[in-house]
Amino acid sequence: MEEENDTRKVNNSFLRDHNYATEADIISTVEFNSTGELLATGDKGGRVVVFQREQESKTQPQRRGEYNVYSTFQSHEPEFDYLKSLEIEEKINKIKWLPQQNAAYFLLSTNDKTVKLWKISERDKRPEGYNLKDEDGRIRDPATITSLRVPVLQPMDLMVEATARRVFSNAHTYHINSISVNSDLQTFISTDDLRVNLWNLEITDRSFSILISSCFPSTGSPSQLFSFLCDKTRRLLVSINFEEPEDPSTRSFFSEIISSISDVKFSHNGRYLMTRDYLTVKVWDLQMENKPLETYQVHDYLRGKLCSLYENDCIFDKFECVWNGSDSVIMTGSYNNFFRMFDRNTKRDVTLEASRENSKPRAILKPRKVCVGGKRRKDEISVDSLDFSKKILHTTWHPHENIIAVAATNNLYIFQDKVN
Amino acid sequence: EPNTLAEMMECAFDAQNLISISLRKIQSSRTQRGGIKLHKNLLVTYVLRNARQLYMSKTSSQTQRTPPYEDVAVVRERQEYLELTGSFTELADDFYCNFNGVESGTWHCGAHQSSGQPAVVAHQDAPACAMVSPSDPDLMVSEACWSCSDKPSWELIVPNSQANQKTVLDLDTHVVTTVTNGYFHSDCCAQPKQPQGALGVTKKRKMDTSYYIIDPEFYLPDFGAVPCKRMRSDEDLHSDSDQLDSANISNLISVLGSGGLSEFVSWQQTDLEQIFATQTICLRHTLLTGSGWTRAIEAF
Repeated sequence: MEEENDTRKVNNSFLRDHNYATEADIISTVEFNSTGELLATGDKGGRVVVFQREQESKTQPQRRGEYNVYSTFQSHEPEFDYLKSLEIEEKINKIKWLPQQNAAYFLLSTNDKTVKLWKISERDKRPEGYNLKDEDGRIRDPATITSLRVPVLQPMDLMVEATARRVFSNAHTYHINSISVNSDLQTFISTDDLRVNLWNLEITDRSFSILISSCFPSTGSPSQLFSFLCDKTRRLLVSINFEEPEDPSTRSFFSEIISSISDVKFSHNGRYLMTRDYLTVKVWDLQMENKPLETYQVHDYLRGKLCSLYENDCIFDKFECVWNGSDSVIMTGSYNNFFRMFDRNTKRDVTLEASRENSKPRAILKPRKVCVGGKRRKDEISVDSLDFSKKILHTTWHPHENIIAVAATNNLYIFQDKVN
Repeated sequence: EPNTLAEMMECAFDAQNLISISLRKIQSSRTQRGGIKLHKNLLVTYVLRNARQLYMSKTSSQTQRTPPYEDVAVVRERQEYLELTGSFTELADDFYCNFNGVESGTWHCGAHQSSGQPAVVAHQDAPACAMVSPSDPDLMVSEACWSCSDKPSWELIVPNSQANQKTVLDLDTHVVTTVTNGYFHSDCCAQPKQPQGALGVTKKRKMDTSYYIIDPEFYLPDFGAVPCKRMRSDEDLHSDSDQLDSANISNLISVLGSGGLSEFVSWQQTDLEQIFATQTICLRHTLLTGSGWTRAIEAF
């Protein structure tokens, strides 16, 4: 039967390409800071790698604004909860930057259970000329000291250090799925499936906690969504329930799964909300809760393959979505290392691919197309040939420029607009 | 809309397949690194429910069933509502507490509380291979949510002699098997005449053509004494103490018993199931009418 063939193909490709040896390198989150100068990535092995954009230099104009590694540190380690006999994964689920207040950079990184505040600072000087220590650091015998001197700061090679400044733990029974920093820069929220915790950045041993009792889709309204807004006085407002009535003609075994929302993003102008479910991206007007403003089909050709995708767990993949700086373009990932962009004004969309074979440095990305039936053209790829192990779950867009970062398994791709 | 028998059978087969796959996913999630993913498992239970509803609606049209209780229209609707909008907290508690050996303090037998919630049930007429069958008799429950001690004796449904298929998950071998049932008639808490393994009860026995109903006292300790009549069977029911691996049973039943999935424990209509479903409803009432949300807002 046709369905069986599809299943085998999907499963085979999934198994063949999965490389367990580099599982720790699989990127699990990407995030630009508020200026776009820094780009942080977290991976399954608990590491954070921060890239910094090079200053544009006149001597090497072709290297305009490239991102290079700035700092690498181990944020989280695997832990074992002896009370519950549970291993806690070190995978970084989310990174959020704090707005910059001084020379140092601060970010929050979280795994399933613990949020950490990291300070990333530069050191380019070191003190020399101690009285009680010699140059190698050995303690001198005080009896041999005949004169005193004041240590002076001497320049050294730039060193970037990351230090954990706060550890916020023991507040989540279930897995933390997201964190969000309040605009007051004093508090942040962490959420798991059932609980929202409001923390003060200075206080690590307690938080305000709200239990969510009924925000899961019921049968009648699979697109339910609660959104939380923190206003300046730090009162938590449960504001809106976005819900689109289900179309009964498309009901299937998997209706609840594919309508389950995997990502939510406010637009930069604060007027719109974007949600990602398995097959679509929707843009909502915050004033209108009963139906979305716009619905974009990401990969509707998968609708006939839901059974196979359920079997190989792909249907549970949580894709993220992201706005560009002017809220005119939205982007989200798909399979086969494809990612999609939708222009909200022109209503045009494009499918691009993040892969080494298809993109040499400074080459222009070629649009891709998935053939959904009938005759396949030369450059098209058929649905059955898609590689479901190559999924782009995490993407991010520079806050004001057309620079995007796309995580394809254990590779990070940074694409920029071509200038001149 | 499947019209021919062949089409109906195909839909039922797909449902069967999905149920097997789903049970396997729930089982394997227990051993996954990092612990059970709550949201994913909840989504799997939705597929389970959808598949089961389709399957039961297809098979029940072939068999004749006598509802043990009458006048359940209202209750049925309420039951469906409660099933479909079951408390996340409750289901989550179950995954968490029962998988980690911590006694869930929230399980207790409460007296019936009137719902007070509007019964918002989405009845949808869906085309081919769809689910929600509002008239599904298996969603019934006894009208009174009685406390443990005052239920008089009752009769069980005696289903048609036509063989029924169901899918069971053996927690010991982690094998999912489709079992064809034979006859079943007994009172509550009783065992069939050939008590051979089902529901992962025995380590040694294979899945066979009959199934096994577990004494509820083994897995409903918090409910207190459940009145039941034991049927004296021809075989010694306790000949093999391995049969009653209560820890595994209670785990499976706990996993599948919340959120309205108690039907998965035993697909035959038994009062055992009804006890469990009813008690589950009591619990759900308690949670749904709880006001944790309001209290949290007041904290600010």
